[in-house]
Amino acid sequence: MNRAIEADLLLNYNTDMSVLERQRAHLKYLNPGFDSPLAGFFSDSSMINGGVIDGFLGTDGLNLPMIYGDTTVEGDPRLSISPETMIGTGNFKKRKFDTETKDCDGKKKKIMMMNREDEVEEEEDEKSKLTEQNNGSTRSIKKMKNKAKKEENSYSSDSSKVTIQKTDYIHVRARRGQATDSHSIAERVRREKISERMKFLQDLVPGCDKITGKAGMLDEIINYVQSLQRQIEFLSMKLAVVNPRPDFDMDDIFAKEVASSTPMTVVPSPEMVNSGYSHEMVNSGYSNEMVSSGYLHFNPMQQVDTTSSDPLSSCFNNGQAPSMWDSHVQNLYGSLGV
Amino acid sequence: MASADKTINTDVPEKDVFAIHFLQSLSNLRTQNLFNSPDTTNYRVRKIKKAAYVSMARAAGGTSRLWSRALLRRATKGNNKIVRFPRKKRKVTWKISSKRRRSDQRAPVVEEAAERLRNLVPGGGGMETSKLMEETAHYIKCLSMQVKVMQCLVDGLSPK
Repeated sequence: MNRAIEADLLLNYNTDMSVLERQRAHLKYLNPGFDSPLAGFFSDSSMINGGVIDGFLGTDGLNLPMIYGDTTVEGDPRLSISPETMIGTGNFKKRKFDTETKDCDGKKKKIMMMNREDEVEEEEDEKSKLTEQNNGSTRSIKKMKNKAKKEENSYSSDSSKVTIQKTDYIHVRARRGQATDSHSIAERVRREKISERMKFLQDLVPGCDKITGKAGMLDEIINYVQSLQRQIEFLSMKLAVVNPRPDFDMDDIFAKEVASSTPMTVVPSPEMVNSGYSHEMVNSGYSNEMVSSGYLHFNPMQQVDTTSSDPLSSCFNNGQAPSMWDSHVQNLYGSLGV
Repeated sequence: MASADKTINTDVPEKDVFAIHFLQSLSNLRTQNLFNSPDTTNYRVRKIKKAAYVSMARAAGGTSRLWSRALLRRATKGNNKIVRFPRKKRKVTWKISSKRRRSDQRAPVVEEAAERLRNLVPGGGGMETSKLMEETAHYIKCLSMQVKVMQCLVDGLSPK
């Protein structure tokens, strides 16, 4: 079990893990029985004190095993190494915090610790917020952190004497061989955002899976958008041709029909519109003809099966029950016949 | 239609909404008494196309999407009694310009493609590339929906 954790530690060492993860991993390595939020909690306070308990933590409220006493001796050299070693990757703030706290007096420590922690926490929070946003790779870590922080907050609310909150900062670790410039980090974040969206677009546009590379995909997307727009133009031309303009107003007639007859299903009106149209195109819109055809079609429609072949309603409804169309749509269909 | 990605929300309403809006606009067109003379075919086509886009913008969420907002604004230039645009504090403008200044440093391949995309997607001129892509995704969904609706309509209304 220990070996696995050790290997894990080593593996994680070079990736963008934050201080917290490493501390936790270290502690786990030392004390496999530890629960992770507690472990993190202890690790921080041990870092602060240099391992000396002055009744500082106020362990009355917590049910601590004696392990804590044990860890300080052996844990200390291990844990104190880690900030030094982590400096090389840009972990400056943590170190500063450490060296400062060593100078404090025992009694004052608690207060100073609280104040400094608050300040540092604020700064760190700001920085972490900025850097978090900037680095997509630490996003998952952030979520874990937030969870851990909430758990710790609940812990601290349980034990009133323990007032210190975790300094829960996330360092954006610049990867090996890359600039730590804030601009380039922001740039990297931006590029990751763009690539994320490109992947999303790739799923949307058909035939984009085979193409790799941003340029090709973007060209494909542009072509797709252009083709869609051309399709709309073409279809609108078709529509313009298909619908000749009648001279009369069908709304009144329809309204009369609807009002007088018993409550009907919606199917009749699209059917009527269809047949009304075909009649129209043949007869060039005589009102008498329309009315008569309307009457003719209305009555038999009542017995018509709702799933009868009606291209308009069927293509809109996709075979669903047309009863979902409310009367508003009914009127619309009616006015379409105008 | 739920989107697969949680961070990018491109939900588009069902076909019915698009259909309703389009039919409404078409019926409005008809009452304008345009279609009598045969030599106005071109004009008619353009009107129908415009109605299609406007109804699509309305159906897709009105002014809540950047591209639809720009489309509607373009369509009602001057005589805007139709759409109400929400008054938002335009803090964004200076930010965009500061980002644009450094746009040469961004990957030039991506940027030139983004430029072409901006010409296609309405309202693309004022957007950053990442935002542009989001808008493009939503726009593509809406366009395909509108195409389906119009296809159905043409099929339904064409003489047998």
